[in-house]
Amino acid sequence: VYQLQLLKNLGFYISLFFLSIGSIISLQSFRLDYYSDYGPGPGLLPLWTGILIIILSLMYLVMTVKKDSFPFEKVLPKGEGFINILSCIGSLILFIIIVPYTGFLLGSTVLLFLLFKRGYKWYVALCVSIAVSLFIYWVFGNLLQVPLPTNYYGW
Amino acid sequence: LETFGYLLSGFETALTWWNLLYCLIGVTCGMLIGVLPGLGATAGTALLLPLTFALEPVSAIIMLAGIYYGAMYGGTITSVLINTPGESASVITCMDGYPLAQKGRAGAALGISAIGSFIGGVVSIFGLVLIGPFLAEQALKFGPPEFFALVALGLILLLSLMGKSLIKGFLAALLGLALAFVGQDPTSGIVRFTFGDANLMNGFDFIAIAVGMFGLSELLFNAEEKLGGNAAPPPPKVKGLLPEKDEWKPTMKAIGRGSILGFIIGLIPGTNSVVPSILSYTMEKKLAKDPSRFGKGALEGVAGPETANNSYCGGALIPLLTLGIPTSPAIAILLGAFVMHGLTPGPTLFENNPNIVWGIIASMFIGNALLLILNLPLANVWAKITMVPFRLLFPILLLTMIVGTYTINNSMFDVGAMVVFGVVGYFLKKAEFPLAPIILTFALGGMFEKTLLQSLTIFKGEFLGFFTRPISGTILSIVIIALLFTITASLRNKRFGTEDVDV
Repeated sequence: VYQLQLLKNLGFYISLFFLSIGSIISLQSFRLDYYSDYGPGPGLLPLWTGILIIILSLMYLVMTVKKDSFPFEKVLPKGEGFINILSCIGSLILFIIIVPYTGFLLGSTVLLFLLFKRGYKWYVALCVSIAVSLFIYWVFGNLLQVPLPTNYYGW
Repeated sequence: LETFGYLLSGFETALTWWNLLYCLIGVTCGMLIGVLPGLGATAGTALLLPLTFALEPVSAIIMLAGIYYGAMYGGTITSVLINTPGESASVITCMDGYPLAQKGRAGAALGISAIGSFIGGVVSIFGLVLIGPFLAEQALKFGPPEFFALVALGLILLLSLMGKSLIKGFLAALLGLALAFVGQDPTSGIVRFTFGDANLMNGFDFIAIAVGMFGLSELLFNAEEKLGGNAAPPPPKVKGLLPEKDEWKPTMKAIGRGSILGFIIGLIPGTNSVVPSILSYTMEKKLAKDPSRFGKGALEGVAGPETANNSYCGGALIPLLTLGIPTSPAIAILLGAFVMHGLTPGPTLFENNPNIVWGIIASMFIGNALLLILNLPLANVWAKITMVPFRLLFPILLLTMIVGTYTINNSMFDVGAMVVFGVVGYFLKKAEFPLAPIILTFALGGMFEKTLLQSLTIFKGEFLGFFTRPISGTILSIVIIALLFTITASLRNKRFGTEDVDV
């Protein structure tokens, strides 16, 4: 039961996240000069930072196991809210993957449609998505002359 | 007197029609960001930073600074009208602002906060004019040990003020520092922690982290419920923008106290805008003849804190302009803007680019006046904006974040990094980690390491060398005392903690 609780605790994963970052930083900084001929080297601060992160993440691990726990069922939204979060992150990742092929206009329409669809009827969502994409393309690309992610054909 | 000559020439710069226009765009965007949910001053400034690429440096920074202090005005409107603070500095405004609105006196609450904000803003800019050049001159004598001590002081005060747990605050700060290591090392030029990825040669982009942590993660939080929901109920109609006759005297006193309080706290590195507003509220409650009115619609309870948080904004610019040290994430973005336009904030800025510094300072007088005009007659228009449904707003904000992040380096890698930092920020926030230390240590990381290594080189590796110099020794002693104090206070669970704050 104890182990199961640990695996359902967000704090546990966060302490692992920090522990791995601390380990990577300190291990990597062994390859850098701690001290060079001219004075302290590029490895000095990273090494100590890494060691501190490791110590503090272990302290946090104890803390989250003992009292400060964040079980997923409490911290994560349920039902529709959870799907909202997933669709948001999912559509962002999808956008990053497809944009080199589809270009900005098509890619952003897809991204917007996936999100608007959750609040509006699909045909409303589609129209709004196309309109917003064109508008942002025009404002940023033409009016402000800001580079946008485009495909081979430049749109 | 020389100072006022500079200030006058600053007005010459700020009053050109294009700089007036950028100032107007900036404060309007700031108001919008303050009013809209799910976007704070930090994410807002970060998003609009790339749009200033093509502008003259002075125009760009005038606009971005306008967003920063404009958001303070905007946040008030939602606090008073719908009891939802638009940004964290206005949380305390809900206490008396909303009860006032329920009594049909929303107009008076908004009117007095706009007037107070204006006075606070102007007082603090005057303070900046008087103290800034003097401080910059002193700071010219500072060497690496003094700068290292100042950065350390800012970070320690930040940690002692923020979040519920010291361990979490420290971990967050160290994460920011670790992220700052990636890329070329500032002293030796060696490339570190890139794992052979060319995208990481120059390190993570500041904007990608800021937009992810403060924009995307905030949006994800909001998306948890509001997406399918209906539009908010219409806010109450605002009328009668001035307080009654017998209220003028106590409110003006509250405004006077708030102005000075906010400015002084702004000078201290590591504080945030919530600190002066909470302190001002407590002070007004203690000084009031009848403290029981507070929480039920006392006008001083709105006037004091609103003045203090605006006056804080001006004060907080002093460490940035004179020392190059940002005190809060929003200011750190302004630092990024300076750097992007080839300027280095710090003691030499006043000497090398007086036209830019004074142009920006002068523009803040104008911006505050514009905000007063934007606020008083247009309160009802801003109130209507709170009715824009989140399901419409949210996808558009998301796309703007992508575009804003992409344009910095024309790189999809940055967009990917933004998404990753957004998700990381979302989970860290869920576990009640403060995010502000991450972004601040990231922004200060290079300076922290560089000044530390330079100092250690000067002291031939002896850390105690810091204590042989009067200024760095004093500041570092304060750092150590503050650290010990924070640790003992947190062991006793008696910390003065504010929530994670980004402005």
